[in-house]
Amino acid sequence: MEDFVYFFTFQDPSILWVVLGIMLLGIGSAYVGTFSFLDKKALLGDAISHAVLPGICLGFMMAGEKNPVYIVTGAFISGGIATFLSSWLKQNTKLSEDTIIATILSVFFGFGIVLLTSLQKSGNPEIAGLNSFIFGNAIGISEADLMLYGGLSLVIIVVLTLLLKEFRLMVFDPQYGKAIGFPMKTISFLFNVLMILAVVIGIQAIGVVLMAALLITPGAAARFWTDRLNPLLILAAIFSVLSGILGTYVSFVLPQMPTGPWVVVFLSLFALISFLIAPKSGIVSRFISRKKYLRKTHRDHLMKGLYKAKEEGKESLPIEEIYELYPYQKAQTTKSISELITMGFIARNQQTIELTERGNSEAMRIVRLHRLWELYLNESMNIAPDHVHDSAEQLEHLITPELEALLEKRLNYPALDPHQETIPREKNDLR
Amino acid sequence: MITQVENPILEIHDLTVSYDQNPVLWNVDLSLPAGNLIGILGPNGAGKSTLIKAIMGLITPTSGYVKVFDKPLNDVRARISYVPQRESVDWNFPASVLDVVMMGTYGKLGLFRRPGKKEKDLALKSLEQVGMNGFVNRQISELSGGQQQRVFIARALAQEADLYLMDEPFAGVDMSTETAIFQLLQEMTAAGKTVIVVHHDIHSAMTFFDWMIMLNLHLVASGPKELVMNEEMLRKTYGGKLNLLTRVTDMIRQKDFNPLKS
Amino acid sequence: MTFDSNAFLIIFTGSLIAISCGFLGVFMMLRKMSMTGDAISHAVLPGIVIGYFVSGSQRSLEVIIGAGLLGILATLMIDWLRKKARVQLDASIGITFTLLFAIGIILINLLAYKVDLDQECVLYGEIAYLPIDSWITKSGLNLGPRITWLAGLNFFFVSGFIYLLFKELTLTSFDENFSSVMGIPSKGVNLALMSIVSYTTVSSFESVGAILVVALLVVPPATAFLWTKSLMPLLKLTAGLGISISVLGYYLAYWIDSSIAGMMVTVAGGLFGISVLIHSKKPSWLRGTSSVKEPFGV
Repeated sequence: MEDFVYFFTFQDPSILWVVLGIMLLGIGSAYVGTFSFLDKKALLGDAISHAVLPGICLGFMMAGEKNPVYIVTGAFISGGIATFLSSWLKQNTKLSEDTIIATILSVFFGFGIVLLTSLQKSGNPEIAGLNSFIFGNAIGISEADLMLYGGLSLVIIVVLTLLLKEFRLMVFDPQYGKAIGFPMKTISFLFNVLMILAVVIGIQAIGVVLMAALLITPGAAARFWTDRLNPLLILAAIFSVLSGILGTYVSFVLPQMPTGPWVVVFLSLFALISFLIAPKSGIVSRFISRKKYLRKTHRDHLMKGLYKAKEEGKESLPIEEIYELYPYQKAQTTKSISELITMGFIARNQQTIELTERGNSEAMRIVRLHRLWELYLNESMNIAPDHVHDSAEQLEHLITPELEALLEKRLNYPALDPHQETIPREKNDLR
Repeated sequence: MITQVENPILEIHDLTVSYDQNPVLWNVDLSLPAGNLIGILGPNGAGKSTLIKAIMGLITPTSGYVKVFDKPLNDVRARISYVPQRESVDWNFPASVLDVVMMGTYGKLGLFRRPGKKEKDLALKSLEQVGMNGFVNRQISELSGGQQQRVFIARALAQEADLYLMDEPFAGVDMSTETAIFQLLQEMTAAGKTVIVVHHDIHSAMTFFDWMIMLNLHLVASGPKELVMNEEMLRKTYGGKLNLLTRVTDMIRQKDFNPLKS
Repeated sequence: MTFDSNAFLIIFTGSLIAISCGFLGVFMMLRKMSMTGDAISHAVLPGIVIGYFVSGSQRSLEVIIGAGLLGILATLMIDWLRKKARVQLDASIGITFTLLFAIGIILINLLAYKVDLDQECVLYGEIAYLPIDSWITKSGLNLGPRITWLAGLNFFFVSGFIYLLFKELTLTSFDENFSSVMGIPSKGVNLALMSIVSYTTVSSFESVGAILVVALLVVPPATAFLWTKSLMPLLKLTAGLGISISVLGYYLAYWIDSSIAGMMVTVAGGLFGISVLIHSKKPSWLRGTSSVKEPFGV
């Protein structure tokens, strides 16, 4: 707890620096990552992040120490070569895209490991810091590093914000962009540069192996909450910043813990929660709205049963008879009855049930939709009268008033359905 | 205009198919006679391939069922063959023409057993039937589109099935080859096999098919050629989609889940 | 050069692993699932750590079972994300493997006092120490290096698997729909392949490292694919490449004193590069004059 307060009150300026750095970095990579996710290039980011390892090692060799400028430059160059190769191979060989990405990823990484091992055997005392590039160590970032990484993040954020319109075109409709005279090739080149930059600065905190998560997961998680680009970018940035800070906190409390894995775990947690509970497309909300819909269909069917009884001249039905209409569903039926009473559609009179006036017109509407759809299937889709019932049983719950009006017009306000039953309408219905 | 038949080889009962949440085929209900060359016609996006895939069990229908030879599909798989669209596979796959045609015999071989001389002879015979015997050892990526199509037909032939379903087998095939293959299909149906072909050219359809299925999101017609090939049916099939049906489809797509699934 | 039994053992073991991975990799590549292979090889890590923790030994059955389960879990998770949560495939792969790998690393750190695994070993493996890690029976009989036996066993399983299911693997890789129509259980074949890939990953991770297994799964098949036109030659060439990679990788690593596994991958990359230059469709700077179009526009 003390640690928690100490960390989150930012008393220690070095913590403040690190958190600030993580925030900038998180926003930058979430921005770039969301675009690459939408552009279906998520795994290219994975390849690039593995591919920067040899560049880091070469940068280290050139400088002879852990100099951030050399390392960032080296990483950028080898990331660039990997990106170039992946598109070149795609155009010039028969290999499929995923093979190309996996090849580049593993070959660059393997070569990086060779360099790293030789460096380790060289006995340079500064080499220990190099290992943090594999799994990331945000706490180990020095102030000088931070200036460089933070500055580059800022560049990414500014460029992406200024060219939002262009990048949106690149993701959603590059053909159209080309047609209206945008230099799409330059835009996509620029985007690749930004992506490599984002990877290069992200690996210090996350590490090369897991960097892909920082690019992919925020966008994928945010996608569940919104369909629009701006909120998507903001949400992705929030997810990634929060995970970044939480991950840094863990490696502050447990110093032997690398930051990267924890950032990834928190990010995945946000993603999982989004998959489950996001409104509309989340799994839980899809499940709930389906359950709700099933309850509505059951209520609709019950009212239809009452209405049909009325057609046969029975003003009300005994409860027992209603239970018999839906065998094995007694609990559900009881629930539907009490719900319908609350809604004011049916009234209970000791052991019998009848439709109220409102209930009557609602039931009539459902029956009308059922019979209209049956007639539509029969007349417009050539379906035999004995085959139309099942489909109408589903559509009667779905047809909106506008569709109903269209159906009426299309069928010319018919009086009878294919089974010669009356299509019921209110008396004052205008023809 | 839907003609139902006694003792059908294929029976489709109230089939509705959706991709994700998008209904693409509504309430198809038909039965087909054995020993016929049957064409499935309709505009782009009418659900022709979807119908074939649903018959083969490659897509699970939202509702309805299919019976082949009066049995559930899984009991009679060995008697059914399939020619998928040419674009559905990667032709860079390292295999020769003979390798691909031999694949047709794998179903009957069962697990673990390897194809032998008998299977090879069968494959060679099938290649001869489609006029590809000069290309036995050719790598498949080196073939033209029409030749690839013929290899797929030969593969289906090597399966020695009773019912053949072919998805656009004439796409990219030149006129003379198309006629030759049609003649081959006619010989097969004369020998009692049933062949169902997704096709888009009405002229050759008129010449070669015995029976036609016309689709446009729903079943417009199914029956002997003479009965269904008329102006009214063609207008219903090709004269644009039903406005109301498209609206209902849109409405369903915007739901959070597929309400048609029971 | 005199016969160096240690060098021979390392090269022999390396070749066995490279061939096993290459054989499986050919089918993964043809199914366009190379990245799934990559994901599996990352994802088995928590299984290895838990297996190690439970059994207290790195060489136990629990480790293999744990990793196998995690490999299958990863495949199922990718599938679940794609179908149930409706996340696009590439992102599903990315999310799955990063999460599982991260959990593995965290577990290693948490259980560091109990589990003598270090991150470096998991990443790059230590094939160089193989000759000193012998399998000694209770009666004291030295049967030779343990890892070589493991690699041999794995090689036996992989070859047997491919021999028995050759036609099913081929057909489901080429045309999954057609095989389903014929009643070949393509889902089952797929799951079996994923399981054996996970098993291979585990049994190789000690020697070449989890991540470098990916290289052996992907690079030799990709290289051989550029040279061959049918499946048998493709498999044979992949095996040949596996052996040459081991030989060259060992001696180069010996020469510059670096990681053997890393060097094997570098050699594989070199051979791949040469093959690409010879076989690219339009070798722009070697033969032709046309410039590369859209170099960065993937």
